[in-house]
Amino acid sequence: MENKNTVQNGRVRVAVDAMGGDYAPEEIVKGAVLAAKKEDVEIFLVGPPKLLQQELAKCKVSNGSYVHIVEASEFIKENESPVDVIRRKPNCSVAVAAKMVKSGEADALYSAGSSGAVAISAIQFIGMLDGVYRPALVGSLGSFAPDTVMVDLGANVDCKPDQFLTFAIAGSVYAKRFLNIADPKIALLSTGSEETKGNQVVREAYSLLKSSGLNFVGNIEGGDILNGRANVIVCDGFVGNVVLKFYESIGGYAQVWTEQKLRKHPPLRALARLLFKSLFPATKISGETEKQSGGILWGVDGVVKIAHGASRARQIANGIESAKEAVKAGVVESMKSELARFNQGGKS
Amino acid sequence: MNVEEQIKDILARITRVDKSIITRQSTFKEIKADSLDVVQALVAVEETFGIEIPDEDAQKFQNFGDFVSYVESRLPQKEKV
Repeated sequence: MENKNTVQNGRVRVAVDAMGGDYAPEEIVKGAVLAAKKEDVEIFLVGPPKLLQQELAKCKVSNGSYVHIVEASEFIKENESPVDVIRRKPNCSVAVAAKMVKSGEADALYSAGSSGAVAISAIQFIGMLDGVYRPALVGSLGSFAPDTVMVDLGANVDCKPDQFLTFAIAGSVYAKRFLNIADPKIALLSTGSEETKGNQVVREAYSLLKSSGLNFVGNIEGGDILNGRANVIVCDGFVGNVVLKFYESIGGYAQVWTEQKLRKHPPLRALARLLFKSLFPATKISGETEKQSGGILWGVDGVVKIAHGASRARQIANGIESAKEAVKAGVVESMKSELARFNQGGKS
Repeated sequence: MNVEEQIKDILARITRVDKSIITRQSTFKEIKADSLDVVQALVAVEETFGIEIPDEDAQKFQNFGDFVSYVESRLPQKEKV
Protein backbone atom coordinates (compact mmCIF):
# COMPACT_ATOMS: atom_id res chain seq x y z
CA MET A 1 0.00 0.00 0.00
CA GLU A 2 1.13 3.53 -0.62
CA ASN A 3 2.00 5.99 2.07
CA LYS A 4 -0.99 8.30 1.83
CA ASN A 5 0.18 10.73 4.49
CA THR A 6 -3.33 12.07 4.63
CA VAL A 7 -4.47 13.93 7.70
CA GLN A 8 -7.91 12.60 8.68
CA ASN A 9 -10.62 14.93 9.97
CA GLY A 10 -8.07 17.66 10.65
CA ARG A 11 -6.20 15.44 13.12
CA VAL A 12 -2.68 14.20 12.49
CA ARG A 13 -2.50 10.50 13.34
CA VAL A 14 0.70 9.61 15.18
CA ALA A 15 1.65 5.98 15.75
CA VAL A 16 3.60 5.96 19.02
CA ASP A 17 5.93 3.09 19.88
CA ALA A 18 4.68 2.73 23.46
CA MET A 19 7.38 0.20 24.36
CA GLY A 20 10.41 2.21 23.22
CA GLY A 21 12.40 4.27 25.72
CA ASP A 22 14.03 4.06 29.13
CA TYR A 23 10.75 4.84 30.87
CA ALA A 24 8.38 2.92 28.61
CA PRO A 25 5.54 2.36 28.70
CA GLU A 26 4.60 4.58 31.67
CA GLU A 27 6.13 7.90 30.55
CA ILE A 28 5.30 7.26 26.90
CA VAL A 29 1.62 6.75 27.69
CA LYS A 30 1.57 9.80 29.97
CA GLY A 31 3.22 11.89 27.24
CA ALA A 32 0.81 10.61 24.62
CA VAL A 33 -2.16 11.51 26.82
CA LEU A 34 -0.71 15.00 27.30
CA ALA A 35 -0.21 15.39 23.55
CA ALA A 36 -3.74 14.18 22.81
CA LYS A 37 -5.18 17.12 24.71
CA LYS A 38 -4.52 19.17 21.58
CA GLU A 39 -7.39 19.22 19.14
CA ASP A 40 -5.42 18.36 16.03
CA VAL A 41 -3.80 15.07 16.94
CA GLU A 42 -4.88 11.45 17.28
CA ILE A 43 -2.60 8.95 18.99
CA PHE A 44 -2.17 5.24 18.34
CA LEU A 45 -0.25 3.63 21.18
CA VAL A 46 1.43 0.49 19.85
CA GLY A 47 2.28 -2.29 22.31
CA PRO A 48 0.77 -5.05 24.46
CA PRO A 49 -2.91 -4.04 24.93
CA LYS A 50 -3.33 -5.21 28.52
CA LEU A 51 -0.27 -3.31 29.71
CA LEU A 52 -1.24 -0.17 27.82
CA GLN A 53 -4.80 -0.28 29.13
CA GLN A 54 -3.42 -0.37 32.68
CA GLU A 55 -1.22 2.65 31.96
CA LEU A 56 -4.08 4.54 30.34
CA ALA A 57 -6.26 3.77 33.37
CA LYS A 58 -3.60 5.39 35.61
CA CYS A 59 -3.97 8.53 33.49
CA LYS A 60 -7.74 8.27 33.89
CA VAL A 61 -8.12 7.81 30.13
CA SER A 62 -9.85 4.86 28.56
CA ASN A 63 -8.96 3.41 25.20
CA GLY A 64 -11.13 5.55 23.01
CA SER A 65 -11.68 9.09 21.83
CA TYR A 66 -8.33 10.23 20.43
CA VAL A 67 -6.01 7.78 22.17
CA HIS A 68 -6.18 4.27 20.76
CA ILE A 69 -4.30 1.06 21.42
CA VAL A 70 -2.86 -1.01 18.59
CA GLU A 71 -1.67 -4.51 19.45
CA ALA A 72 1.99 -5.51 19.24
CA SER A 73 2.95 -8.25 21.64
CA GLU A 74 6.71 -7.96 21.13
CA PHE A 75 9.19 -5.13 21.48
CA ILE A 76 12.91 -4.54 20.96
CA LYS A 77 14.98 -4.54 24.13
CA GLU A 78 18.07 -2.34 24.47
CA ASN A 79 20.45 -5.32 24.37
CA GLU A 80 18.97 -6.69 21.15
CA SER A 81 20.40 -6.01 17.72
CA PRO A 82 18.37 -3.42 15.80
CA VAL A 83 18.51 -5.73 12.78
CA ASP A 84 16.35 -8.19 14.78
CA VAL A 85 13.39 -5.96 13.90
CA ILE A 86 13.47 -7.36 10.39
CA ARG A 87 14.25 -11.04 10.87
CA ARG A 88 13.22 -12.01 14.39
CA LYS A 89 10.58 -9.50 15.49
CA PRO A 90 8.81 -8.07 12.43
CA ASN A 91 5.70 -7.54 14.56
CA CYS A 92 7.36 -5.69 17.42
CA SER A 93 5.91 -2.34 18.51
CA VAL A 94 8.16 -0.09 16.43
CA ALA A 95 7.74 -2.26 13.33
CA VAL A 96 3.93 -2.25 13.67
CA ALA A 97 4.00 1.54 14.08
CA ALA A 98 6.13 1.85 10.91
CA LYS A 99 3.76 -0.41 8.99
CA MET A 100 0.88 1.87 10.02
CA VAL A 101 2.65 4.80 8.34
CA LYS A 102 3.28 2.74 5.23
CA SER A 103 -0.36 1.62 4.98
CA GLY A 104 -1.69 5.14 5.54
CA GLU A 105 -3.27 4.29 8.92
CA ALA A 106 -0.93 6.82 10.55
CA ASP A 107 0.70 10.03 9.33
CA ALA A 108 3.81 9.80 11.50
CA LEU A 109 5.83 7.39 13.64
CA TYR A 110 7.24 8.49 16.98
CA SER A 111 9.59 6.39 19.12
CA ALA A 112 11.98 6.85 22.02
CA GLY A 113 13.30 3.33 21.52
CA SER A 114 16.61 2.16 20.07
CA SER A 115 17.54 4.64 17.33
CA GLY A 116 18.91 1.82 15.20
CA ALA A 117 15.70 -0.17 15.51
CA VAL A 118 13.60 2.86 14.59
CA ALA A 119 15.80 3.64 11.58
CA ILE A 120 15.73 0.02 10.40
CA SER A 121 11.95 -0.16 10.81
CA ALA A 122 11.64 3.01 8.78
CA ILE A 123 13.93 1.72 6.03
CA GLN A 124 12.39 -1.74 5.83
CA PHE A 125 8.71 -1.11 6.49
CA ILE A 126 8.12 2.46 5.26
CA GLY A 127 10.86 2.72 2.65
CA MET A 128 13.23 5.42 1.50
CA LEU A 129 12.50 8.19 -0.98
CA ASP A 130 13.82 7.64 -4.50
CA GLY A 131 17.57 8.18 -4.61
CA VAL A 132 18.09 8.05 -0.84
CA TYR A 133 20.10 5.15 0.57
CA ARG A 134 19.74 5.70 4.32
CA PRO A 135 17.98 8.26 6.55
CA ALA A 136 19.86 11.15 8.13
CA LEU A 137 19.46 13.33 11.21
CA VAL A 138 19.51 17.09 10.66
CA GLY A 139 19.82 19.71 13.41
CA SER A 140 20.06 23.48 13.69
CA LEU A 141 23.04 24.92 15.58
CA GLY A 142 20.81 27.32 17.48
CA SER A 143 21.80 30.73 18.82
CA PHE A 144 25.55 30.67 18.07
CA ALA A 145 24.88 29.97 14.41
CA PRO A 146 21.17 30.52 13.85
CA ASP A 147 21.42 30.13 10.08
CA THR A 148 23.35 26.87 10.09
CA VAL A 149 22.32 23.22 10.21
CA MET A 150 24.43 20.08 10.40
CA VAL A 151 23.70 16.73 8.81
CA ASP A 152 24.21 13.83 9.57
CA LEU A 153 24.11 13.96 13.37
CA GLY A 154 24.52 10.26 13.97
CA ALA A 155 22.24 8.07 11.89
CA ASN A 156 25.05 6.89 9.57
CA VAL A 157 28.39 6.17 11.20
CA ASP A 158 29.94 4.72 8.03
CA CYS A 159 28.96 6.49 4.85
CA LYS A 160 29.33 6.02 1.14
CA PRO A 161 30.32 9.20 -0.76
CA ASP A 162 26.97 9.60 -2.52
CA GLN A 163 25.15 9.68 0.82
CA PHE A 164 26.66 13.13 1.33
CA LEU A 165 24.59 14.34 -1.63
CA THR A 166 21.32 13.31 0.00
CA PHE A 167 22.55 14.77 3.31
CA ALA A 168 23.10 18.07 1.47
CA ILE A 169 19.61 17.95 -0.02
CA ALA A 170 18.01 17.10 3.35
CA GLY A 171 19.93 19.95 5.00
CA SER A 172 18.84 22.33 2.25
CA VAL A 173 15.19 21.39 2.68
CA TYR A 174 15.51 21.90 6.44
CA ALA A 175 17.19 25.30 5.99
CA LYS A 176 14.53 26.42 3.54
CA ARG A 177 11.53 25.11 5.50
CA PHE A 178 12.58 25.89 9.06
CA LEU A 179 15.18 28.69 8.75
CA ASN A 180 13.64 30.48 5.74
CA ILE A 181 16.92 30.56 3.81
CA ALA A 182 16.13 30.77 0.10
CA ASP A 183 19.33 29.30 -1.34
CA PRO A 184 21.33 27.63 1.44
CA LYS A 185 25.12 27.47 1.10
CA ILE A 186 26.33 23.89 1.48
CA ALA A 187 29.80 22.97 2.77
CA LEU A 188 31.61 19.75 3.50
CA LEU A 189 33.26 19.44 6.91
CA SER A 190 36.88 18.41 6.44
CA THR A 191 40.39 18.87 7.73
CA GLY A 192 41.20 21.72 5.35
CA SER A 193 39.61 23.95 2.77
CA GLU A 194 41.45 22.43 -0.19
CA GLU A 195 39.71 19.83 -2.33
CA THR A 196 42.43 17.31 -1.56
CA LYS A 197 41.90 17.43 2.22
CA GLY A 198 40.05 14.77 4.19
CA ASN A 199 39.79 11.00 4.06
CA GLN A 200 38.95 9.11 0.88
CA VAL A 201 35.18 9.20 1.41
CA VAL A 202 35.23 12.96 2.05
CA ARG A 203 37.40 13.59 -1.03
CA GLU A 204 35.04 11.56 -3.21
CA ALA A 205 32.06 13.34 -1.66
CA TYR A 206 33.72 16.68 -2.52
CA SER A 207 33.87 15.72 -6.20
CA LEU A 208 30.22 14.64 -6.20
CA LEU A 209 29.04 17.81 -4.44
CA LYS A 210 31.15 20.03 -6.72
CA SER A 211 29.50 18.62 -9.84
CA SER A 212 26.03 18.30 -8.30
CA GLY A 213 24.57 21.67 -9.23
CA LEU A 214 23.83 22.29 -5.55
CA ASN A 215 24.99 25.56 -3.97
CA PHE A 216 28.23 23.93 -2.78
CA VAL A 217 30.82 26.36 -1.38
CA GLY A 218 33.59 23.82 -0.73
CA ASN A 219 35.19 22.45 2.41
CA ILE A 220 35.09 24.09 5.79
CA GLU A 221 37.11 23.20 8.89
CA GLY A 222 35.96 22.76 12.48
CA GLY A 223 36.77 26.40 13.19
CA ASP A 224 34.24 27.50 10.56
CA ILE A 225 31.26 25.60 11.97
CA LEU A 226 29.87 28.57 13.85
CA ASN A 227 31.02 31.45 11.63
CA GLY A 228 28.16 31.32 9.15
CA ARG A 229 30.24 30.44 6.08
CA ALA A 230 27.79 27.64 5.43
CA ASN A 231 24.08 27.18 6.05
CA VAL A 232 24.30 23.42 5.63
CA ILE A 233 27.33 21.56 6.99
CA VAL A 234 27.59 18.05 5.65
CA CYS A 235 29.52 15.28 7.41
CA ASP A 236 29.15 11.60 8.22
CA GLY A 237 27.18 10.58 11.28
CA PHE A 238 30.29 9.68 13.24
CA VAL A 239 31.78 13.17 12.97
CA GLY A 240 28.37 14.83 13.29
CA ASN A 241 27.52 13.00 16.48
CA VAL A 242 30.89 13.81 18.06
CA VAL A 243 30.51 17.49 17.17
CA LEU A 244 26.89 17.51 18.44
CA LYS A 245 27.76 16.11 21.84
CA PHE A 246 30.85 18.26 22.23
CA TYR A 247 28.86 21.37 21.28
CA GLU A 248 26.08 20.53 23.71
CA SER A 249 28.60 20.06 26.51
CA ILE A 250 30.31 23.45 26.09
CA GLY A 251 27.82 25.44 28.18
CA GLY A 252 28.07 23.24 31.25
CA TYR A 253 31.87 23.08 31.17
CA ALA A 254 32.23 26.80 30.53
CA GLN A 255 30.01 27.51 33.56
CA VAL A 256 31.98 25.21 35.88
CA TRP A 257 35.28 26.68 34.66
CA THR A 258 34.08 30.29 35.04
CA GLU A 259 32.64 29.71 38.51
CA GLN A 260 35.91 28.11 39.64
CA LYS A 261 37.88 31.09 38.34
CA LEU A 262 35.55 33.47 40.21
CA ARG A 263 35.34 31.50 43.46
CA LYS A 264 37.08 34.27 45.39
CA HIS A 265 34.65 36.88 44.05
CA PRO A 266 31.15 35.77 45.17
CA PRO A 267 29.20 38.65 43.58
CA LEU A 268 30.85 38.08 40.19
CA ARG A 269 30.37 34.35 40.58
CA ALA A 270 26.64 34.82 41.22
CA LEU A 271 26.39 37.10 38.22
CA ALA A 272 28.19 34.56 36.04
CA ARG A 273 25.82 31.82 37.22
CA LEU A 274 22.86 34.00 36.29
CA LEU A 275 24.29 34.76 32.86
CA PHE A 276 25.01 31.12 32.12
CA LYS A 277 21.57 30.09 33.25
CA SER A 278 19.92 32.49 30.84
CA LEU A 279 22.39 32.19 27.94
CA PHE A 280 23.70 28.68 27.62
CA PRO A 281 20.66 26.70 26.59
CA ALA A 282 21.87 28.26 23.33
CA THR A 283 24.39 25.46 22.87
CA LYS A 284 21.72 22.81 22.49
CA ILE A 285 21.49 21.63 18.92
CA SER A 286 17.81 21.41 18.14
CA GLY A 287 15.49 19.41 15.95
CA GLU A 288 13.35 22.37 15.04
CA THR A 289 13.23 24.32 18.28
CA GLU A 290 14.92 23.95 21.64
CA LYS A 291 11.90 22.48 23.37
CA GLN A 292 11.72 19.45 21.14
CA SER A 293 13.47 16.20 21.86
CA GLY A 294 15.14 14.03 19.24
CA GLY A 295 14.97 14.51 15.52
CA ILE A 296 13.28 13.61 12.26
CA LEU A 297 14.73 10.86 10.10
CA TRP A 298 15.14 12.66 6.79
CA GLY A 299 14.89 10.71 3.55
CA VAL A 300 12.23 8.25 4.72
CA ASP A 301 8.97 8.15 2.74
CA GLY A 302 7.00 9.22 5.79
CA VAL A 303 7.47 11.31 8.93
CA VAL A 304 9.54 9.40 11.49
CA LYS A 305 10.64 11.11 14.67
CA ILE A 306 13.20 9.64 17.05
CA ALA A 307 13.22 10.81 20.67
CA HIS A 308 15.97 10.57 23.24
CA GLY A 309 15.68 7.27 25.12
CA ALA A 310 15.55 9.06 28.47
CA SER A 311 12.58 11.23 27.48
CA ARG A 312 9.93 11.81 30.13
CA ALA A 313 6.25 12.53 29.54
CA ARG A 314 6.68 16.26 28.81
CA GLN A 315 9.39 15.61 26.21
CA ILE A 316 7.33 12.82 24.69
CA ALA A 317 4.37 15.17 24.37
CA ASN A 318 6.62 17.82 22.76
CA GLY A 319 8.05 15.23 20.40
CA ILE A 320 4.62 14.06 19.30
CA GLU A 321 3.71 17.71 18.79
CA SER A 322 6.76 18.26 16.56
CA ALA A 323 6.03 15.07 14.59
CA LYS A 324 2.58 16.51 14.00
CA GLU A 325 4.06 19.85 12.89
CA ALA A 326 6.39 18.04 10.48
CA VAL A 327 3.40 16.34 8.89
CA LYS A 328 1.58 19.66 8.62
CA ALA A 329 4.68 21.37 7.18
CA GLY A 330 4.89 18.70 4.49
CA VAL A 331 8.57 17.93 5.09
CA VAL A 332 8.39 14.63 3.21
CA GLU A 333 6.76 16.25 0.20
CA SER A 334 9.38 19.03 0.25
CA MET A 335 12.18 16.47 0.35
CA LYS A 336 10.55 14.53 -2.50
CA SER A 337 10.30 17.58 -4.70
CA GLU A 338 13.91 18.65 -3.97
CA LEU A 339 15.11 15.15 -4.82
CA ALA A 340 13.06 15.14 -8.01
CA ARG A 341 14.51 18.48 -9.06
CA PHE A 342 17.99 17.24 -8.26
CA ASN A 343 17.52 13.95 -10.12
CA GLN A 344 16.30 15.87 -13.16
CA GLY A 345 19.48 17.95 -13.10
CA GLY A 346 17.87 21.09 -11.69
CA LYS A 347 19.36 23.11 -8.92
CA SER A 348 18.03 22.14 -5.50
CA MET B 1 16.86 -14.76 -15.66
CA ASN B 2 18.73 -17.38 -13.64
CA VAL B 3 19.00 -17.52 -9.86
CA GLU B 4 22.46 -15.93 -9.79
CA GLU B 5 21.36 -12.96 -11.89
CA GLN B 6 18.24 -12.44 -9.79
CA ILE B 7 20.21 -12.44 -6.54
CA LYS B 8 22.81 -10.16 -8.11
CA ASP B 9 20.04 -7.72 -9.07
CA ILE B 10 18.67 -7.76 -5.53
CA LEU B 11 22.08 -7.19 -3.96
CA ALA B 12 23.03 -4.46 -6.44
CA ARG B 13 19.72 -2.67 -5.83
CA ILE B 14 20.09 -2.77 -2.05
CA THR B 15 23.78 -1.89 -1.84
CA ARG B 16 23.65 0.40 -4.88
CA VAL B 17 26.83 -1.01 -6.33
CA ASP B 18 27.33 -1.66 -10.03
CA LYS B 19 26.06 -5.16 -10.69
CA SER B 20 29.08 -5.89 -12.89
CA ILE B 21 31.48 -5.81 -9.95
CA ILE B 22 29.67 -8.65 -8.15
CA THR B 23 31.30 -12.01 -8.83
CA ARG B 24 30.89 -15.38 -7.16
CA GLN B 25 34.10 -14.64 -5.26
CA SER B 26 32.96 -11.24 -3.98
CA THR B 27 32.61 -10.99 -0.22
CA PHE B 28 29.88 -8.79 1.29
CA LYS B 29 32.62 -6.49 2.54
CA GLU B 30 34.05 -6.11 -0.95
CA ILE B 31 30.71 -4.98 -2.31
CA LYS B 32 30.39 -2.63 0.67
CA ALA B 33 27.30 -4.35 2.07
CA ASP B 34 26.83 -3.67 5.77
CA SER B 35 24.80 -5.85 8.15
CA LEU B 36 21.54 -4.09 7.28
CA ASP B 37 22.17 -4.50 3.54
CA VAL B 38 22.77 -8.21 4.07
CA VAL B 39 19.61 -8.67 6.13
CA GLN B 40 17.56 -6.72 3.58
CA ALA B 41 19.02 -8.90 0.82
CA LEU B 42 18.16 -12.08 2.75
CA VAL B 43 14.57 -10.94 3.24
CA ALA B 44 14.24 -9.94 -0.42
CA VAL B 45 15.67 -13.27 -1.59
CA GLU B 46 13.36 -15.17 0.75
CA GLU B 47 10.36 -13.30 -0.67
CA THR B 48 11.49 -13.67 -4.28
CA PHE B 49 12.11 -17.41 -4.12
CA GLY B 50 9.59 -18.36 -1.43
CA ILE B 51 12.19 -19.93 0.82
CA GLU B 52 13.37 -19.37 4.38
CA ILE B 53 17.07 -18.84 5.10
CA PRO B 54 17.80 -19.45 8.80
CA ASP B 55 20.36 -17.09 10.37
CA GLU B 56 22.65 -19.99 11.20
CA ASP B 57 22.85 -20.88 7.49
CA ALA B 58 23.24 -17.27 6.36
CA GLN B 59 26.15 -16.77 8.75
CA LYS B 60 28.12 -19.42 6.84
CA PHE B 61 28.11 -17.50 3.56
CA GLN B 62 31.70 -16.48 2.88
CA ASN B 63 30.98 -14.84 -0.46
CA PHE B 64 28.30 -14.19 -3.06
CA GLY B 65 28.88 -17.63 -4.60
CA ASP B 66 28.01 -19.34 -1.31
CA PHE B 67 24.79 -17.33 -1.15
CA VAL B 68 23.79 -18.30 -4.69
CA SER B 69 24.71 -21.98 -4.21
CA TYR B 70 22.68 -22.13 -1.00
CA VAL B 71 19.59 -20.63 -2.65
CA GLU B 72 19.95 -22.97 -5.63
CA SER B 73 20.19 -25.95 -3.30
CA ARG B 74 16.93 -24.96 -1.63
CA LEU B 75 14.93 -24.60 -4.85
CA PRO B 76 13.06 -27.33 -6.69
CA GLN B 77 15.12 -28.61 -9.67
CA LYS B 78 13.08 -26.86 -12.38
CA GLU B 79 13.65 -23.39 -10.97
CA LYS B 80 17.44 -23.54 -10.99
CA VAL B 81 17.80 -22.44 -14.59
